[in-house]
Order: sequence, then C-alpha cells, then structure tokens
Amino acid sequence: MRASALLTLAARNLRADGRGALLNGAAVAVGATALCLFLALGMGVGQAVRQLFPSEARLVEVVPSSVSLGPLLGGGQLDDAAVRRLAALPGVTAAWPRMNLRVPLAATRGPEGLALNYPPGFVLQIPAVGVEPGLLAGALAPGAAFADPGPEGAIPVVLSSRLLELYNKTIAPAWNVRRLPTGAALVGLELPVKVGFSIVPLKTEDRVYDARLKLSGLSDRVPVHMLALPLDVVRRLHREYGKADQGYSAVTLQAASAEEVPSVAAAVRRSGFAVDDADRALAERAGAAVGVATLALSFLALLMLAVAGLAIAQSLLASVRARAREIALLQAVGATRGDVRALVLAEAGLLGLGGGLLGSALARLCAAGVDRAALRLLPDFPFRPGSFVHFPPWLWAVGLGVAVLAAVVGAIGPAAAATRIDPARTLA
Amino acid sequence: MIELAGIVKRFRDADREVPVLDGLSLSVADGEMVAVVGASGSGKSTLLYLVGGLDADFEGQARVAGRDLGTLSERERATFRGREVGFVFQSFNLLPHLTAMENVCLPAWFAEGPALRAEAPRRGAEALRRVGLLELAGQRPARLSGGQRQRVAIARALFAGPRLLLADEPTGNLDTRSGEEIIDLFGELSRGGMTVLVVTHEERVSRAAGRVLRLEAGRLA
Repeated sequence: MRASALLTLAARNLRADGRGALLNGAAVAVGATALCLFLALGMGVGQAVRQLFPSEARLVEVVPSSVSLGPLLGGGQLDDAAVRRLAALPGVTAAWPRMNLRVPLAATRGPEGLALNYPPGFVLQIPAVGVEPGLLAGALAPGAAFADPGPEGAIPVVLSSRLLELYNKTIAPAWNVRRLPTGAALVGLELPVKVGFSIVPLKTEDRVYDARLKLSGLSDRVPVHMLALPLDVVRRLHREYGKADQGYSAVTLQAASAEEVPSVAAAVRRSGFAVDDADRALAERAGAAVGVATLALSFLALLMLAVAGLAIAQSLLASVRARAREIALLQAVGATRGDVRALVLAEAGLLGLGGGLLGSALARLCAAGVDRAALRLLPDFPFRPGSFVHFPPWLWAVGLGVAVLAAVVGAIGPAAAATRIDPARTLA
Repeated sequence: MIELAGIVKRFRDADREVPVLDGLSLSVADGEMVAVVGASGSGKSTLLYLVGGLDADFEGQARVAGRDLGTLSERERATFRGREVGFVFQSFNLLPHLTAMENVCLPAWFAEGPALRAEAPRRGAEALRRVGLLELAGQRPARLSGGQRQRVAIARALFAGPRLLLADEPTGNLDTRSGEEIIDLFGELSRGGMTVLVVTHEERVSRAAGRVLRLEAGRLA
C-alpha cells in the first residue's frame, strides 16, 4: 500500500471519529507542550546561570597550599620556579602568575572625562592585582599596552566586565549616581589615585603620591572585586615601598581542553599546591541544580506523554474492535495484514503528529508568555538575562518526534489486535 | 473457474475441533451462476470465504481462477482477492465516511502497481454506471436506500474486473423489489461471462441460479 494512500485513508478514518481523534490529539498535545516548555525553561535558566556564574572551562586557579612542608617536598611559595614547574605539567598550555598589590591605592575623585556625580569626600580604596598581559589577551583595547609606563605615566588597568553590571544595577541606584555605559565606551578613561594612601588607620604609607590609572579594557578574567595592573607595576611599587617578596598570590593555568582540567588539578595538588575551584564549584552546583530540575520536569512531561500514549492505545483498541467488520472488509478487497497494521499505526502517527505540532506551538507561545511575564515582574538585578527561555528550532523536532513516538508505540498493541482479526469469521 | 477437492475446514470450539467442511468437492464452470443453500451452520459462508481466499487454513485442494489457493503467500492471496474476486455481503459493508464512488474505488487503495490506481476514477464510474447509480457517486451510504447500498457494494465488487463474484446472502436485508433487482443484476453479470456463487436462504435467488448446491453438515447433499 502506498504511503500517500495509507495516510489519506488513515486521515479519513480519524475524521470519521473526529471527537475521539480530537481528545487523543489533545492528550498528546498536553504532553508535548509540557516537554517542550520544561526543556525550553531549563535551557534558558541554565544559560542564565552560566551568565551569572561565568567559569572558563579550561582555567585552573592555583594558590599556595594552606599546609605546606616547604619546597623540599614541592609546593610552598608560588615563585618563578614554581610557575615554571606548573607550566610544565602535562596538559597545561599556559601559566600566568598573579600578585596582589600590597601598597594601598585609593581614589578621592571620579574619573576624568566622565560627568559622574562622585560623592564629595568619598574615598574609594582599590584592591589591585598584578597580572601578565597574556592572561588578558583579547580583552585589551586595540593598541593599548599592558606594561609598566614608569613612575610618571598613566598605569594601564583592566576591570572586571561584571563589576560594571554590579555597579549599574546595585551601587548606582543606591547612591543615586549615574549609571556607567557598558562595553568599550569606558576604555581610555583616567582615574586619579593616591598611591600609598589607605582609609584604614595606620595603614597609610609614609610616602603618598598622585598617579593616574588608565582603563585599557574589560575582562571576565579579572576578579570582580579587584582591578588588574601589569605585574611589573606591582613589582615596582613593592620595591618602592620596601615590601618583601612573598611570591605570587596565585597562578592561573590554562589546560589544553576542558576534559583535561581534572587531571591538571590533580597534578597541581600532587605538586603541593592547592586549587581554588570555589567559583567553578558554585557554577557547577548551580548548573547541576538547574539540570536536575529540568531532568525531573522533563521526566514528568515524558510520563504525561506515556499516559497520552496509553490513552491512544486504549482508544485505538476500542476503535479496532468496533471496526472489526471494516478491517475485515479491507482485507476482502485486497489489504494484507501488513496493510491493516500500517493503517492503525498511521492513524496513531497522525494523531501524534497533530498533537506534537499543536503541543510544540503551544509550548512556544507559553515560553514567550513566561519570558514576557518574568521580564516584567522580576526586578532588574545584576546579570538578569535578556530571556529566561531558550527555544531552539530543534525543540520543535523533539516535540513532534516524541509525540509521534508515544502515539505509535501506544498503537502497537491495537495494530497487532487488528491483524489478528479473522476476516472470514468476521464477515460471515 | 472453481475446483475443490476433499476440502476439510475445522473450527476450534473450546478444546475440540469442529469440522465445518468435511471432505467437500465441487466444480463450477466459467460463467455459471450457482446458488449454495443449506441450514445455518452447514458451512455455506465458510465455503464462500475459502473460495474467495479470505481463509487459508484448510485441508484439500482448492483451485480458483487458475490459482492454487493452498500455495499462495499472504501477499498473493491479497492480490487474488483484490483482482480476481468480488465480494458482496448481506450487510453491504460500506465505509460510512466514504462516498459511494470512494467505496467503489476502495480496492485501488491496496492494489499493487499503479495501473488500477490510475484507472480508478474511470473504473469506479463505469462500475457505478453498470449498477445504475452513477448520479449518486458523491453520496455517502447514509443517504442511500438499502437497495442502492447493495448496488454500490456490487459496483465495488465489480471495480477491479474480477471473473468471480461471491455473494453472501445479498438480498437478506432488502425488500422484495430491491432483492429482485439484485438477482436480475447477478443474472445479467452471469450471462456476461462472470461466474457467480451465491450463498442464500431465499428460494427466488435459487430459482435464478443455473445450479443449486445444497450443503449439509459440511458436505454436498
């Protein structure tokens, strides 16, 4: 029997029992709607979580171990030798040391060239870390040099791109000050600072002098609470203020691939250092929570589709019994048992197709509605995503495919029952 | 057209097998109209459906329209039913959601090869014209009288141009006048060279047949 004839006859049969077909199609549609909606929400919220907790899959943060037996057994201070050893570990493609600035740095005025209503008398203590330019590759403005400009030049700095979001969504509204433009518009701004000045009593150095910080870029690789300076600037300031060498505060390792991160982390620990994976663990826990919730809801939706499949099975079985003479007649005019089986499965397939299409479309509409409601009702918190749902084109295929599968699997029993009809006894 | 030799057909009833046809042998020539009569349960309908290839579970030799029914595969039996045999039933068995024309063309849906499907509109119209119902081609069965429904069923049986027409109590649900029209139609078909085997309880059908076979307990009396 040709596929087109099969589908036409199946469609006629469904139309003949329009009410039953409508109910079965609706059951499938509800299941498909739930499945697509839950998956779209899960993927959308998952994306939001990744945006909230960015974690570069290939980076490993190495810090000195809290308990160390010194360099004899490996580990101890993170010095140049340790950085070389870490860079030579299998699977490591780059190692960038970082050194926290131990000379206080403070701003008493707002950035130059930006009409910002900086609170009068306000002193901003700036924590800073020295990093190598390689860590910030791609984040620096074109032509910007990330090197020590000497005592007179403006010190290039890089801010966390997340800091701007936090500032604009929390600090600026709370202080009633202007929000800052995001992105490259801020690059090039200069901030006058006082080197050696601290708001903490007795922490101000004997010598305090004016300097300028020049924003050279924005990067997610800079800690949100710090400002990144060239490592050479930090070394120079430490020399100027007689700070003893305490080694690096951390080393960022880049693994060849995300899959090699666990083995690199294990090798780091074997070398006597610790791995600071708090951010990664937080991102993974949040991602896992969303994943589990999505999985549970999708399982629930699949159960709904299974129930829809059972409803179709029951309905088609009753239909096959009621249409026994009709099925026997089809065999009398030339249908094989295979044709009869295919006809029942095609009826179920059409029900699944219709229900799946309707369900996917409903899910798309519901997703758009949920998204619109969330964006309207939720406050404008930092890192709030532009959308809480993700409905890629392949989700339509999932909705259709699973719905058709549930319906056709449900029809296997009734199709088998239809082939067992004895046409001679039924027609006699 | 029909050559049966030593046909045995049993039905299973609970844990025992009941013979319905018990060593039946008969021969029907091309163009013959034969009435099969007998009491209820004598095996008339069983004989009809066995000859029509709907029942393959039997013992003995059955040769119909040049085919040995015992050796045909399921697909070959289906093709045999669709091309060589036309069935007419007491209760018409028209599909209620299809029009008269669509019911008549039903065998084309299952036909192998494109020829019958391509010719379906012409063949369907010709079959309906032959039974005098071409003007009702677009009507659904619910809008037709009993006699008209049976004539649509006969048109369906004639659609593929079979050489053998098998009718199971074709006038059982019809009034006298409609029944006589159907009997006349069968006579006309037989005179045109078609072999007609009719299972009936009715004397008027038997009278119209060229030969009457009486079945008793699965054997010819």
